Amino acid sequence: MPVDQPRPAHNPLEESDIDEAALSAVLRTVPLGAAILAGSAVALVVLGYLAIYLLIFLPRGVVG
Amino acid sequence: MTDQPHEMRERWVLGTELTWAFGVGVLVAATISIIVFTALTRNINPPSNVERIDPKTLHLSGEFSEQNLGTLVAADGTVTARIVATQFTFVPHCIALPRGRPVTLRMATPDVIHGILITGTNVNTMVVPGYVAQVHTEFTQSGELLMPCHEYCGLGHSEMWAVVQVLSAVEFKPDGDGRVSCAQR
Repeated sequence: MPVDQPRPAHNPLEESDIDEAALSAVLRTVPLGAAILAGSAVALVVLGYLAIYLLIFLPRGVVG
Repeated sequence: MTDQPHEMRERWVLGTELTWAFGVGVLVAATISIIVFTALTRNINPPSNVERIDPKTLHLSGEFSEQNLGTLVAADGTVTARIVATQFTFVPHCIALPRGRPVTLRMATPDVIHGILITGTNVNTMVVPGYVAQVHTEFTQSGELLMPCHEYCGLGHSEMWAVVQVLSAVEFKPDGDGRVSCAQR
């Protein structure tokens, strides 16, 4: 093929031999792990916020 | 053949996203509720005051002239401290304030933007040329607290700090003019 000819679009999904059933099986569990990871991260941030708010900010008293 | 599981997966993803969005919405609502509840019940708010002053003449006459700086106890018992923040010092350098009484801090600057915080308390505000910064607070513990400038204001910024002396009711004694200074301790 001459070098100045455009190459055909490469779509890896078309060429892959991924089994649909296996993909569905994986997708049933992987998003759950992502949700647990994201949930844990958010929970840690919220706990940190509450700890600073309740243990440091409020005891420091009135301001306005 | 493959459309049905694909559609189910799409629906499952949508459900997950909606659940996650609902959870985030609950978190945001809870955070705002905590802030509003604290503001209404504990009187803790961001300091806010829009009051203009001419930075070129503030030290010549009026509220922030030299004889008016420092702590003043008015006839009705209200305590107000007036402070000028200037490159690179606070005037006065030591501010005497009472413990367990509402106090008002009023600050102005004739030069550039400064900022103050009082360590161990929630007092924290900017001091912007042309405006009077005002903070209401109440100190719960006696002692000496550092009050540094926390807004970079020039080469001497790191040397710009003052001391807040929080005095007990016995020690906090205004003179005949209602003035209280650190030297009385």
